[in-house]
Amino acid sequence: MTRRPYAMRRLRRSLLWFLAIAVVAVYAFPFLYLLLTSLKPATDAIAVPPTVLPHRLTLDNYITAVNRQGVRASFVNSVTTATLATAISLALAIPAAWGITRYRTRAGRIMLAGSLLVRMAPAVAIGVPLVGILGAVHLIDTPTGLALAQTTVALPLSIWLLASFFEAVPREIEEAALVDGCSRPRALVSVILPVVGGGTAVTAIFAFLASWNEFLFALLLTSLKAQTTPLAIANLQSQFGLDWGPMTALAALYSLPAVVLTLLLQRRIVAGLSLGAVKG
Amino acid sequence: MLPGLASGGRRRRRGLRDGDYALLLIAPAALTLLALVGWPLLKLAIDSLHTGSAFDVGGRQFTGLTNYRDVFTDPAVRAAGLRTVIYTVVVVAAELALGLAVALLFYALGPRSQILRTAFLYPLMIAPLVAGLLWRFMLIDNVGIVNELLSRVGILDHPGDIAWLSDPGLVLFSVAIPDIWLTTSFMTLMIFAGLQSIPPELLESARLDGAQGLRLLRTIILPLLRPVIAVALIIRGVDAARAFDVILVQTGGGPQSASETLSLHIYKTMVTYNDPGSAAAISTVFMAVMMAVALIAVTTVWRPGRQS
Repeated sequence: MTRRPYAMRRLRRSLLWFLAIAVVAVYAFPFLYLLLTSLKPATDAIAVPPTVLPHRLTLDNYITAVNRQGVRASFVNSVTTATLATAISLALAIPAAWGITRYRTRAGRIMLAGSLLVRMAPAVAIGVPLVGILGAVHLIDTPTGLALAQTTVALPLSIWLLASFFEAVPREIEEAALVDGCSRPRALVSVILPVVGGGTAVTAIFAFLASWNEFLFALLLTSLKAQTTPLAIANLQSQFGLDWGPMTALAALYSLPAVVLTLLLQRRIVAGLSLGAVKG
Repeated sequence: MLPGLASGGRRRRRGLRDGDYALLLIAPAALTLLALVGWPLLKLAIDSLHTGSAFDVGGRQFTGLTNYRDVFTDPAVRAAGLRTVIYTVVVVAAELALGLAVALLFYALGPRSQILRTAFLYPLMIAPLVAGLLWRFMLIDNVGIVNELLSRVGILDHPGDIAWLSDPGLVLFSVAIPDIWLTTSFMTLMIFAGLQSIPPELLESARLDGAQGLRLLRTIILPLLRPVIAVALIIRGVDAARAFDVILVQTGGGPQSASETLSLHIYKTMVTYNDPGSAAAISTVFMAVMMAVALIAVTTVWRPGRQS
């Protein structure tokens, strides 16, 4: 009597594993297909009918993409813009999030709710008037201007994430530092911040990615000089339409750091994602 | 933000009280957001009362509420609004169903599903723009890999049978696919975290009482997951409603505006038709509706900061 239910349970378990692996495989397929296509000769990438596996592996698409005018500059712009946006956001969000979680004032609650609302505003409603505003102060088509625009996304996100991480810091740590003669700002920087170092790193990653992956502001606020990589990818056109071979290569180059980062820092990133509920 | 700033300023006497110090910490971020979000939104509201742009030869002219009257009577705006609602519902419903199913699957498999969970996570880091282009490539009529594979396994007779991105009746659903692919992981992640916080004894005793499978799910698991699912739905709903990159790079809103949601319609009104007044009026209404929905959702269901 005991053997049959056991066999049944094993079968059920194997079925579940099979199902889970199938789901993940289907889910992984698009990115694998992107990588495989980028390694095909450019003509095979647009062959009819398409094939999944390349007949011949080549880096030609990567070479073509990187040598396209503006592509290398766009990588520099993407890194500059994202670094600036991350730096501005963290510099403002660290004190703000600490002020919100440590003192629990009405202003803090309003700020937290305000950040959430800002995160939910349609980007197009902010981006369209920003064209005129940044134009007036000559920041159109500059990494600084774009970074400021992206701060509207990265800052509320950082405040929200950091506030969640600061929640876990016991008050006694600050009190001990104050008793030892630290000033309050000093205690924040040299005692509390190291305690949430991991959380701050995750926040920095998410702020960076929010800027790195951002497209609408880049489309509205930059043209040639400050163009970021997402624009360069979208602009990879030939006279026949999108130039899929080089485009997949550039998209792979550009997505790979983020994907590798996810796999390496998986556990911390999961914490960040569930705390900050960030995808946007 | 402003009322809080005002009330804190009054209590300044000797040194810095906790409340004032907190305010000092918060103020730079608050002022930055006011400048970068508040100012544009104010400008948006002002622009919406004018026609033409400040750079036009004739200058811009005050037209009062004319732009708003046009917003509410223009069938194109109404159609775009309806498409935004359909798109949002499709994306969120599909993500909830898939996300819940996959989370339950991982939960049933236990800790050893770790590797699969990690692999399932990666699309969250991919830019919506890349996802949109990639799926456009995979769905392109006749020559896309999706139809090719479907026809090879016999689901389609011919690779050209489904015109994903050029059939006006289908395109709004097709452009939702990359969005669903991109963020189902998020739904899974939230629900999986929710599942892990359910005390195992609770499920065990329910099982001993004879609750199995779907009944266990409906009577015990789903009610316990309700708060988690509510938050996930709010976040994803808001994000789907403002989706832009994904749709723009797939179809540009076409064919025949069949995939033109409000964000795309505003962008086109601004950039293609060069009509900042109308674009501002539609944005203002869009913004107001989104904020109202978000505010209601956040204050009634979510209540951030109050759980502790």
